[in-house]
Amino acid sequence: MSEDRDYEIFEVDQHIVAHSKYYAGRMGSRFYLTLRDEKKILGIRCANCERVYWPPRSTCGRCFSQLSEDKMVEIGPRGTVETFTLVTYSEPVHPRKSPFIYGIIRLDGADTSIVHFIDEVEFEKVQIGMRVRPVFAETRNGNILDITHFRPL
Amino acid sequence: MEPEEPKQELINIPITVDVPYRFAAGTYMAKFLVELRDNGKFYGIKCPVCKRVQMPPRIVCAACHVKNTEWVELGPEGTLVGFTIMYLPLTDPTTGKPHEPPFSYGSVRLDGSDSVLDHFLNIEPKVEKIRVGMRVKAVLRPREQRIGDLSDILYFEPISRQ
Amino acid sequence: MKRNVAIIGGGQTYHAARRHDVNQVEMVNEAVRAALEDARMTIDEIDTVLVGNMEFFEGTHMTDCWLVDGTGAYGKPGLKITTGGTVGATIVCAGAHHVASGLFDTVLCIGFEKQEEGDTGAILSGVAHPLYGRSMAGAAVGYFAMMGTSYMAAWGATEIHSAMVAVKARQNARKNKYAHLKLDITVEDALNSRMLAYPIRMLDMCPASNGACAMILADEKTAKDRCKNPVWIRAMDTAHNEQFELDWRDVTTTKPIFSRTSAARVYKQLGVNKPADYFDVFEIYEPATWAEMVWYEDLELCGPGEGFKLIEEKRTEIDGPIPVNPSGGVLSTNCIGASAMLRVWEAALQIRGDAGEHQVPKEVRRALTTAYGGTNWTVLTALSRSLDD
Repeated sequence: MSEDRDYEIFEVDQHIVAHSKYYAGRMGSRFYLTLRDEKKILGIRCANCERVYWPPRSTCGRCFSQLSEDKMVEIGPRGTVETFTLVTYSEPVHPRKSPFIYGIIRLDGADTSIVHFIDEVEFEKVQIGMRVRPVFAETRNGNILDITHFRPL
Repeated sequence: MEPEEPKQELINIPITVDVPYRFAAGTYMAKFLVELRDNGKFYGIKCPVCKRVQMPPRIVCAACHVKNTEWVELGPEGTLVGFTIMYLPLTDPTTGKPHEPPFSYGSVRLDGSDSVLDHFLNIEPKVEKIRVGMRVKAVLRPREQRIGDLSDILYFEPISRQ
Repeated sequence: MKRNVAIIGGGQTYHAARRHDVNQVEMVNEAVRAALEDARMTIDEIDTVLVGNMEFFEGTHMTDCWLVDGTGAYGKPGLKITTGGTVGATIVCAGAHHVASGLFDTVLCIGFEKQEEGDTGAILSGVAHPLYGRSMAGAAVGYFAMMGTSYMAAWGATEIHSAMVAVKARQNARKNKYAHLKLDITVEDALNSRMLAYPIRMLDMCPASNGACAMILADEKTAKDRCKNPVWIRAMDTAHNEQFELDWRDVTTTKPIFSRTSAARVYKQLGVNKPADYFDVFEIYEPATWAEMVWYEDLELCGPGEGFKLIEEKRTEIDGPIPVNPSGGVLSTNCIGASAMLRVWEAALQIRGDAGEHQVPKEVRRALTTAYGGTNWTVLTALSRSLDD
C-alpha cells in the first residue's frame, strides 16, 4: 500500500440525541404551579438587599443571602418593554416560527427582567418603554409558555 | 439526614436536544476505513522509533511524538484479551436501536497489532464458552453493505480449528 | 510548588438518587454554604471560584455561568472545568495551582452532578470516536466487565473477591451519613444480585447519584491565620493514556498506563518507597469492584496480581493496616462531577480526624487519592497533616 495514495475525503453526518429533565426544585415549582393554577406571577424579595427577583431563586446572586419561600411576592402582571427585536430566521429550537417579536420585559415590582414574545402588535409600533401585559394559555402545563406572549395594554 | 419529600407537587420540564454534526476522519483514519470498506483489510501504522503498531492508525505516536509512516496489514485473526456477556439492552447511539441482550462482547488484539479493538463476539453468551486467550477472527459484512465504519465488522468468531 | 497550599474547609450535600426538592443551583449552593461554614468564612473572602461537572450531563451548558448565584461567583474571577470523571480532582488541582502560583490566596472549588436529570448513556457515547466505536459504545459497565474477566484469567481471582469489595464499600458507607448506598449486605447478597455484564453484577457497580462537594483552598499564611487544622496538598499528578489504547483492561500489560505512571511520579516527588506504609489512608476512584483491586496493584500497595489477596485478607478494611475508601467510595456514591473531589475531601476529613463514624481507628497523617477519567486518565492528590510530613 503506497503511502502517498490519494484517498477520498471521508466525512460522515451523524447526530446525538439527548433527553433531559430539569427539576425546578421547591421554590421553582411553586412559581410554575402558581402560574399554571392561578395565572399569577411570583417573584422573590431579598430581605437583605431588597431586590425582587424574577424568576424566584433561593440565593441572592448579589449579596449571597439565602432567600426563603415566605418572601415570595406577586409581581406584574403588567410590565415595561426594556428592549426588543424582530426575529426573521428560523431554528429548530425556536418555540415559534418566524417572524416573531421578542423582548426583555420588566414586570412591575420586579428588579430583574425576562425574555418573552411580544404579540398582537405590529413590529413598527413596538417601543422601548411600551407597557404590556401577559396573555395566558388556555391549557397550562407548568412551564414558562403558560404565558403565550405579552401584548400592549 | 435526608429531608422528607415535601408534600407540594414538584415540577420537572423534559427537554430533548438533538445535535447534528459532520465528522471528518482525517487522512490516516480515512485510509483505515476505506481499506476496511473496499478491500476488507485492517491496517495499522508502525512508529519508526518505538516500533509499536497502532490501530486505528494515527499521524503521531503519542509516546514518541514522531510522525508514524509505515503502514502494516493486520489480522484478520487475533486473540481475545477480555470479554463480557452483556445483560443490559445498550442502545446504538448512532441508530437509536438497542443491541438485544444477552450478547457476547470482547476485546481483541489483532495479529501484528499492539492495540486492542472492542467488538461483538459470535459466541453463545455463556461464560464456559468464552475464555481470555481464545483465538478469533473478524467476520465482515458483504462488500456492498460496508460503509467504512467499525460496524463493517459483523463480529469476531472463534477460529474453527480450536 | 512555589507556595504551599492548604485545604481550609469543605462540605458536601447528602447524596441520593432523587433530589426533586432542589434545582441545580440550589443543590450546588448547599455544598458551598457547608464549605464556607466549615471554613468560618464568608463568600466575600473568596478570591475566585472554580466549578465543574460532567459536560452536558444535566442537559445544560456553561454551568459556571448559570449556576453563578449558587456558587457565589457573581462578580468574581472564575472558570468552569470539565475533564470527565476526574473533574472534581482536576478542579482541586487547578485551584491549588491558582494558589501556589501566587495569583489568588483563597479559591472555592465546586464539583457537582445532578445525574438523574440527564441522559448519561447518550452523552457518554459522545466520548467515543464517531467512526471508531461510537456505534458500539458500551456503557462504562462493559469496560469494567472486561477488566474483570482479564483480571480473573490473569491472576486467578474469582467473583467472590469482587463481592468482598462490594460489601466493604457498602458497609463503610453505612458509617458515612452523606453516602448514597448505605447497604447492610453480605458476600452472598452481592453474588446473588442481578447480572449486568459478566462478571459485574448490580452490587459490583456504582449508583447514579445527585450531589455536590465544595472545598476551600488557601495559601500558607491565610491557612495558618484562619484555620486550626489545615490539610496540606503535597503532590498532584495528572496522566493520560493514548487515544484508542484500552490496555488498562488487559491487566497483564507492561505498558506505562496512566495510573502507574502517575503513581510513580507522585512517589518520586515525595520520596515514597513503600506507599502502603507511607500513606495512612487511601480514597480511590472505583466505579466498579474490579477497579479497586487494580488500583491496589497500580498504586503498588501490593505486587502485580496480588490485589485480590488484599481484600481477601481484609487488609484494606476501615480498621485494617491499609484502609481504602472508609467513606464507602464511588461504589456507594457517584455524583460524577463531585466524585473525584469527594475523594480529596474525605481524605482531608480523615487527616483532620473529622470523618465521624467512618474515621479510621489510627493516626492519619498522610493520605492519597485517585480519580478516573473515562478510565483512561487520572489525577492523583497526596495530602498531609503537617508540612514536615
